Amino acid sequence: MNIIKEEKKHMIYLKIEDNKGYFLKQEKEQADKWVEIDKILKEDLMNLLESAISTDFEMDEYLEEKIGHKAHQIVYKSIYEKFLDFINDKKSFIDECDAQFSSAIAKYESLL
Amino acid sequence: MKKIDLHIHTIATVSDKAFDFDLSKLKEYTEKLEIDAIAITNHNVFDFKQYNEIVKELDIAVFPGIEIDLERGHLLLIADNKDLSEINDFAKKCERVSALINTKDDYITLEQFNEIFTVLDKFLLIPHYQKNPIISNDIISQIKTLVSSGEVSSYKKFKTCIKDQESLVPVIFSDTRYFSTMKNFSTQQTFVDLKEITLNGIKSCLTDKQKVFLTKEEGNDFFQATDDGLMLSTGLNVILGERSTGKTVTLEKIFYNHENVKYIEQFSLLQNDKQKFEELLSRRHSSVSEEFLTEFKQVIDSVKNIDEKQNELEIENYLESLLKYASDNEKADAFSNTKLFSESLFTKKDLLSLKNLISATKLLKENSDYKNIINKHITDESLESLEIDLMKEYIRVEEINLKKDWVNNLISKVKDELRFRTSSTVPEEVDFYRIMVEKDKIKKFNKIVNDLKIETEIDRKEIRGFKIVAFTKNFTSATHLKKVCKRQISLIQTFSNYNLPFKFLKSLQNIDIEETELYKFFIDIEYKTLNKLGFEVSGGERSEFNLLHEINDALKHEMLLIDEPESSFDNIFLKNEVNSLLRDISKSIPVIIVTHNSTVGASIKPNYIACTKREIENGTIIYKTFSGHPADIHLKSVTGEIINNYDVILNCLEAGNDEYNKRREETYDILKN
Repeated sequence: MNIIKEEKKHMIYLKIEDNKGYFLKQEKEQADKWVEIDKILKEDLMNLLESAISTDFEMDEYLEEKIGHKAHQIVYKSIYEKFLDFINDKKSFIDECDAQFSSAIAKYESLL
Repeated sequence: MKKIDLHIHTIATVSDKAFDFDLSKLKEYTEKLEIDAIAITNHNVFDFKQYNEIVKELDIAVFPGIEIDLERGHLLLIADNKDLSEINDFAKKCERVSALINTKDDYITLEQFNEIFTVLDKFLLIPHYQKNPIISNDIISQIKTLVSSGEVSSYKKFKTCIKDQESLVPVIFSDTRYFSTMKNFSTQQTFVDLKEITLNGIKSCLTDKQKVFLTKEEGNDFFQATDDGLMLSTGLNVILGERSTGKTVTLEKIFYNHENVKYIEQFSLLQNDKQKFEELLSRRHSSVSEEFLTEFKQVIDSVKNIDEKQNELEIENYLESLLKYASDNEKADAFSNTKLFSESLFTKKDLLSLKNLISATKLLKENSDYKNIINKHITDESLESLEIDLMKEYIRVEEINLKKDWVNNLISKVKDELRFRTSSTVPEEVDFYRIMVEKDKIKKFNKIVNDLKIETEIDRKEIRGFKIVAFTKNFTSATHLKKVCKRQISLIQTFSNYNLPFKFLKSLQNIDIEETELYKFFIDIEYKTLNKLGFEVSGGERSEFNLLHEINDALKHEMLLIDEPESSFDNIFLKNEVNSLLRDISKSIPVIIVTHNSTVGASIKPNYIACTKREIENGTIIYKTFSGHPADIHLKSVTGEIINNYDVILNCLEAGNDEYNKRREETYDILKN
């Protein structure tokens, strides 16, 4: 897929602090910042998914007792588990994407 | 010398087109073509009663026979006509064949054939040899009797077999059905060097290539072109004649009497319209476009069902329902408080890449062509254990997937039960993996289309000095896009998305463009024909190019007929290009040219010439054809009449002797001096 061209980043994207869950909000032309997990928007989810593919995506493990805030507990758990699944399948994802249309890309690129 | 036709159909079977046999037509055929012996060979059937009726009606030898579907090929099996009890026995054997063939796709195996026809020596066996559907050499070699001759479909193949030491003795037959409305008779028969017709005599001739011929007296360099006796050379022929003397009629007769003939009709090559010419080029070279776009077609197939908006909606629903469920948590009841209520389903692992790996390993293991190279790097044992390990992994993952399936079903069932009993929002499911794979597909699709849109030359072919160049071109307007659209619809709105490939694809789908046609809308492929100097061809050159293309194409056929090629070309082109090309082609297949033009007629140096004449005898119009070698003093008609060759040439090509001399003396000589 040739996505990981830059130096691999080791970054944490989901964290637990002070009994609450946070995600790293990434916005164009602004510094990344930590935002409470129940404020997450679909664009944030897409950004996190892109980062899960292109970087060494790290998250604080979900432990029920570490998050006192009940709503945060539910949201953090669900998102954490989804991302855990996704990262576990990352190798197959990259293999699948690399194989996708490879002959077409090679053929039409060679005309350039 | 005897003329035989051992392949005649008199019954419409499942393998034939429907026809009503007319015995009087068969009689007319044998008499008009002066045939000495025929064989009745219907598909997988022998009708003894009908055979007797034919024998009674015809005054020539008629052999009982059958054309058998054997191992997907056709075999003529012909019996002797002398002994009635033998014919009776043959009829019974044929009944067994008939019982095994019920549809046009049925055939009998060699084993069944040997079981039915236990003693083969008394029959004459002629397989379809260079004629479809052929009986393979392998099957021929397994037939338990001598098979010395094979049926061919054209004079060209007949001559090739005669020259080829390895091939069977060729025979060529009419293979025709006789019905009351038929207009022309086939002229495809074989002459055998025999004094008296007997099956054994024919069998003996068909073991010797010196004893089979295309003509009675002229060996194999001639063939009978029409059923009224016109003989022509298997090389290059020129037919001359004044207007309305039957030249085109003669060509049409030859065309209908033979199969797989290329007929270039008069004026058919004129190409004054540039657009029509370009369309013609596109059609002729459509394989270039198809080949160029093969991979792109697969890409379209893979992305056409992706719904980007639906994917966004799924993420949105997931997040909204999750946040709502979390915020409602304080109001949660006993049902929504259960762990399974908000539990996500397990994601199953996709096994496609593992499947591909197993297939690739199998391919390496089973390849025999490149075994040496493969084994230089990987031993068979390693490949074997790799395959086993991959399969084990496949089973392991599949087992986990099945377990996940089982658990997912259970979770869904419990969640459904809980949902009915609570007012809390249920968190929706979402498949991040699929959504991201599809997102990557769209990204790649856009890249591929953008690469495709960089205009470039994709193919270049050369035909005798002309170059046909294929190049890609962006569509520039909705009108331009109509070129590939089969339906009458407005494309203006759709075209506004042309520069956004995926959006454009979706808008094409919205206006119901057929899925199999979608790939054509992204890039146009145009063809240009360039002349020797590299410039685009002019109107005259387009016609020249067409002629050269058509003549080249003739080699895929068994004969070439060309009617007045001079209609749209200048003499220099005819002399320099057409004449040499036609001469070359006539070395492979018979070429017959109708002309008035001295450059074609006289300069081409034909092997044989024919001249058509129209005469009025007792108030009736009679068409006559005279023929002979170019150096003969006289040309002869079938009935023995003669005309002066020199007069014919001058009348037809130079408008007569006086006109020729006048032109030479008064025009050319004056100019010369």
